[in-house]
Amino acid sequence: MSEPTLELEALGKRYSRRPALQEVTLVAEGGVLGILGPNGAGKTTLLRVVATVLAPDAGRVRLLGCDPGRSEGRLTIRRRLGYLPQEPGFHRSFTAFEFVDYVAILKELVDRRERHAEVRRVLGLVGLEREAHRKIKKLSGGMRRRLALALALIGDPDLLVLDEPTVGLDPEQRLRFRALVSDRAEGRTILLSTHQTEDVAALCPRVVVLVEGRVRFDGTPNELAGLARGKVWIAREREPAARLSWRTSEGLHRHVGEPPSGAERVEPTLEDGYLLMLGAAA
Amino acid sequence: MSWHTEPAMLQGYAKGSLDDVRALSVEAHLLACEPCRLQLADLADRGRLDGVWERVVVAVEEPKRSAAERVLRRVGVPEHVARLVAATPSLSGAWVVAVALCLVFAVVAANAGSWGSTAFLALAPLLPVAGIAVAYGPWLDPIYELSLAAPMSNFTLLLLRASATLATTVVLAGAAALALPGPWWVAAAWLLPAFALTLATLALGSYVRQAVAASMVGLAWIAVVAPTPALAADRLAAFRLGGQATCAVVALVAATVLARRRDTFEQGGLDV
Repeated sequence: MSEPTLELEALGKRYSRRPALQEVTLVAEGGVLGILGPNGAGKTTLLRVVATVLAPDAGRVRLLGCDPGRSEGRLTIRRRLGYLPQEPGFHRSFTAFEFVDYVAILKELVDRRERHAEVRRVLGLVGLEREAHRKIKKLSGGMRRRLALALALIGDPDLLVLDEPTVGLDPEQRLRFRALVSDRAEGRTILLSTHQTEDVAALCPRVVVLVEGRVRFDGTPNELAGLARGKVWIAREREPAARLSWRTSEGLHRHVGEPPSGAERVEPTLEDGYLLMLGAAA
Repeated sequence: MSWHTEPAMLQGYAKGSLDDVRALSVEAHLLACEPCRLQLADLADRGRLDGVWERVVVAVEEPKRSAAERVLRRVGVPEHVARLVAATPSLSGAWVVAVALCLVFAVVAANAGSWGSTAFLALAPLLPVAGIAVAYGPWLDPIYELSLAAPMSNFTLLLLRASATLATTVVLAGAAALALPGPWWVAAAWLLPAFALTLATLALGSYVRQAVAASMVGLAWIAVVAPTPALAADRLAAFRLGGQATCAVVALVAATVLARRRDTFEQGGLDV
């Protein structure tokens, strides 16, 4: 029987005295795993540990059947890993092609012809083939985000770690991103951290919610939405007793919380369940 | 167009068997005649055309090589290594110009001032240390986090960049040192300190960030050499045999520490 792609057991990480991750246990084997959580919940720390750029203080990590704490295991993992950091940096004076080419060398693509073919392939995947020879400093924010995604796709990795990949993308680009990720999900494991519940609903058969460094929920998007079943209602006026409420585009108020009697309950979304959980955790 | 290329001649052109004069004549005709171009397309060897097209694409997309990369390729450095090294921030034109200007001022001061070559000898070893500070690390390398997650050894990348920085400084400072006043050995007296300080910075960088390590080593070096001209009758005392032997010991210890702690550059780099 093959080992899971991702195994985290009682993972812990502290920054000075502040705990960033506490007793995080996760197992994943194939598909897209969505990580949701508010700012400071530990999502980026978790993804950095999985990307082997940060060592945990406690717990056990196995990735692609290897131990990242050992040099040979780490090398094996990095050869099969694609990583998009939350704030990817760029050599701004490079062209898009030169920059991907540079990172491809770091990924051990030594042969120039093969490397350039791979550079063209990944730039094509993110729709930047026409921008290949433009300087990075002249690319828009969305284009740079796609360029960073292209770097993560070099070598067609088995484990993709994507930290907030859709930030700065317009709606069309986000749809393209979803198509790209769902095409790659077959036979691979993708860890996707995001604030966008729509992305999780569209892409992830499983979602984990991190709050204050701990796993507060691990299940399907439907199960997360189900937490708010019977607790979401629509009214003409704002209900002060609701835990959360906001005005919809139709001019009505959508409420999450304990509904008053006779309230017009509606089917909850993933966002409702997530917000209710965050409200309960606060 | 009222006339067209004969089929036999088109076939010869497609195979590349025509002499230059006929080939040029056919080519001039093809530029203006669409029916003949279409006929040629049917005759052309698809594999050969694909090969030509691929070579055109590769030639067009070939990233432009920087001056540093061209120099590295000329001295036999492999293409992919030259690409990596040439992106080192401390090999940029601005950095090289800044280093050259520092050295020019130090040489002018050595020839005009009362401190002789001491200021130059104190400054030159600090230049590669400053270069390493900007060559690697989370503060100054924009893709530091990405490079940590890549399979290429971060320790190797650090050594490549440090070597390139040291080599550039040695060439510039070596040329400037020829204009120093005083005994002949003064022109080379900064070399071993530069090597020792570079290794000390790299070794200390396995405990703290490279920029912090460079600052600590730089301050320690200034604390050692700055009082010498005021305290000693011999202003070059720190750079004579005793000082050189101390630098050799520092270099040896730092190299040992670096070799033993090389794995810290690979694991959890964002912690450092």
